[in-house]
Amino acid sequence: MFVGPRMKRDLVTVTPGATLKEAARLLKAHRIHHLPVVEEGNRLVGIVTDTDLRNATLDGMIVGADRGDSGRPVTVGEIMTRELVTLSPGDTLDDAMLVLSRQRIGALPVVEGERLVGIVTKADILSALLSTLDIEGLGVRIEVVLPRDVKEVARLIGALGDARVEVRSLVLAPHGSDRYAAFLRVATIDVASVRNLLREKGFAVGELSDFYEGR
Amino acid sequence: MAEYGARVAGGGGEPLPERDIVEGFDLLIAADRLFGADLNPTMIKKSGKGTPFLVRRPPSRHRMLALWRELFGNRVSPKVFLDALAPEVLGLAHDDGLLLFGKDRVLYDCQIVRGSEAVGHLTLAFYREREPVFRFLPFPRRPGRRIVFIEGISLSAQSTGYASSLFRHYERLFHGLGFHRFRLKASLSVGKYYWAKEGFDCEDRVQFREMRGKLQDLVRRFDLPVEEREIRRLTHAGDVAAFRRDLKIPVYRNPEGYYAVTRDGSHSEEILFPLGKAFLLCSDPWDGYKVIYTDTPRRTGLVWSEGFLDHGAQPGHPESPKRLEALFGAIREEGMRETLIFLEPYVPAPESLHAVHDPAYLEAFRKAVARGERHFAVQDCAISGGSYEAALLAAGGVMAGIDAVLSGRSDNVFCAVRPPGHHAGRDSAMGFCFVNNVAAGARYARSAYGVRRIYILDWDVHHGNGTQALFEEDPLTFFCSLHEHPSFCYPGTGRRLERGKGPGLGTTLNIPLAPHAGDLEILEAFEREVVPSIEAFRPELIFLSAGFDAHRDDPIADLECTEDAYVHMTRRVLELADRYCEGRVVSVLEGGYNTESLVASAIAHIKTLQGREGSPCSSARG
Repeated sequence: MFVGPRMKRDLVTVTPGATLKEAARLLKAHRIHHLPVVEEGNRLVGIVTDTDLRNATLDGMIVGADRGDSGRPVTVGEIMTRELVTLSPGDTLDDAMLVLSRQRIGALPVVEGERLVGIVTKADILSALLSTLDIEGLGVRIEVVLPRDVKEVARLIGALGDARVEVRSLVLAPHGSDRYAAFLRVATIDVASVRNLLREKGFAVGELSDFYEGR
Repeated sequence: MAEYGARVAGGGGEPLPERDIVEGFDLLIAADRLFGADLNPTMIKKSGKGTPFLVRRPPSRHRMLALWRELFGNRVSPKVFLDALAPEVLGLAHDDGLLLFGKDRVLYDCQIVRGSEAVGHLTLAFYREREPVFRFLPFPRRPGRRIVFIEGISLSAQSTGYASSLFRHYERLFHGLGFHRFRLKASLSVGKYYWAKEGFDCEDRVQFREMRGKLQDLVRRFDLPVEEREIRRLTHAGDVAAFRRDLKIPVYRNPEGYYAVTRDGSHSEEILFPLGKAFLLCSDPWDGYKVIYTDTPRRTGLVWSEGFLDHGAQPGHPESPKRLEALFGAIREEGMRETLIFLEPYVPAPESLHAVHDPAYLEAFRKAVARGERHFAVQDCAISGGSYEAALLAAGGVMAGIDAVLSGRSDNVFCAVRPPGHHAGRDSAMGFCFVNNVAAGARYARSAYGVRRIYILDWDVHHGNGTQALFEEDPLTFFCSLHEHPSFCYPGTGRRLERGKGPGLGTTLNIPLAPHAGDLEILEAFEREVVPSIEAFRPELIFLSAGFDAHRDDPIADLECTEDAYVHMTRRVLELADRYCEGRVVSVLEGGYNTESLVASAIAHIKTLQGREGSPCSSARG
């Protein structure tokens, strides 16, 4: 799960000398929120976001009202963020998720040395998660709580295999200190029978009501 | 048409007092227009000329009254009835009209006259059927259908349009009097084409299939440009009469007015006729019938075939033939036989499914069945030796239902088919489904009848992903599905954000319901979203993908509906169908895996389709 294969490579960028108007047009035309700012040779020097633009416009209006037009920022270079958190293609998606979550930002430029090569956004991370969990694939979710013992996991998979149930995805998460929660997507319409089968084998299978009463 | 009955009965449809009936008898006896008749069948002449029975003194008033009550429910007096039988049509009238009382039937016999010149003769018999005619399952004996039997009709001049006009009048009259069917016997051979054109069908299904076979023979013999699949889809003599009007073939007429396909000594006059007409004119005689009335406000067809049971299942598989066996048993026990128009499905040619399924996919399915495999594509889709034919037959069942509804032979139809279809995609079998019956039907309605705007409402508890995928880019086919939320229920699709694609954006509507939603929630969603979407779309035909597995007793999912929800939704859909598409609703069985709740729900649904008042149900708005 390296960043390289998941990042977006065809990038929309601006130069520091571009006007705010031009930046706003690009954001709107491409329906994006982040514009990496590059100089010659694709050297990354900053990033400008739709929030930066909005703030600059608001500031300009407020400040401009006090002292006339002269102080209003005109170019991207004037408002861009210069202190950047970046990734390299060799970083992992885990790194990306941790940084995005901790720094509360929306996108991370990916650089090789100083050269911009890609960008990873929150949306990219979400779609990676969607495909990992096979949320859009055909199937039904089953939740099973297991003792924290890999032999139990093997037994669970064995039981499904014996019944020839097609498993679309399986996520195993820690559940408290001594248990696992297994989230399975199975591709059968007769999911009631699968639940019953697992219960007969002694597994704790979540009831739908658990979702409701526990919320 | 019901008003007509009320008028005949002299107001309100209430039975007349017996003294009015007796008064009518006396009046007619005094006028020499009412007699007894000896109806020993050997005495009845088949010629249709003269008096085909021995006329004698009328039986006792008591016996005549009993018979009148049984046949006419005392809704009409004998005198008024006799007059109603003899309208003046196209300058022709009835003379010497007589009512004759036999042991179990009343006959009407008259001369047809133009002025004072006799130009023909008509004999009708009115009786109540005793024998079950529905062959594949024995029904308990119960008061059978009321029958108008056309014993004989002859006219010296053919093709005057008289019979058409007269029988249209009769159809209204007898509908009002609660008669279920016209029947006619094979000896009325000259009119074979005429009767078929007027909507009469073969009484005997075996005979009908033979008729279809002979049409095929004729096509082969003369090497006509007609494909076998066109013939295969004929299920009613009326379809045969209208078959390939564009294709004219010569037939040969003899001096008596009989036709043959080859010229010989007596059949020498060559005439060109359209294929269906030419074929019927030369065909063997057949016993015919036509449905007039079904005891219910709406005429509902039922597509059913034993062939649906040939898709077997392995033990423990929820989608088993028992589902339909139980449903049909209940239809019998509920005494619904007289009230439904049974429609015969056919196995369509695989090519007629190519609009919805890839040829390679159907072929792979056929081969898997032929190889005797136990599953096709996925573990859920268990198969047996009869699965391929049964799956095609199910799609053909929907097509036969569409034929009935769009030709007006029934107002709406319930297709009790299996295997179900709504998960089947262009090249995928899943969730017990192989062929997408509703989608195949929708495409058929469009190609065969030119129906443009089609609304498909899928209330099976599972999202109809197959149907959605087939129509999501089609702006003229609205697909609406009510189902348990995909995060909890198979197949995991049908989220609100799926609203169609490209030109079809906005004509897909998905309404996921939270687990444990019951009648209140489903009806609330139905009224708030489904009804306005039908009103906005203004469909020309409505399909129901009617699964009954959202029922609270169904084991396979987690919604908690009762029969009341199905009754309410059915009633509302019919109201909307009345408003936009002359009541045309084609309902197709999908899921439902607890036989008891399936049967209870489906019966309530069918009864509501028939326009009967179902169990009281709380309106979602109330």
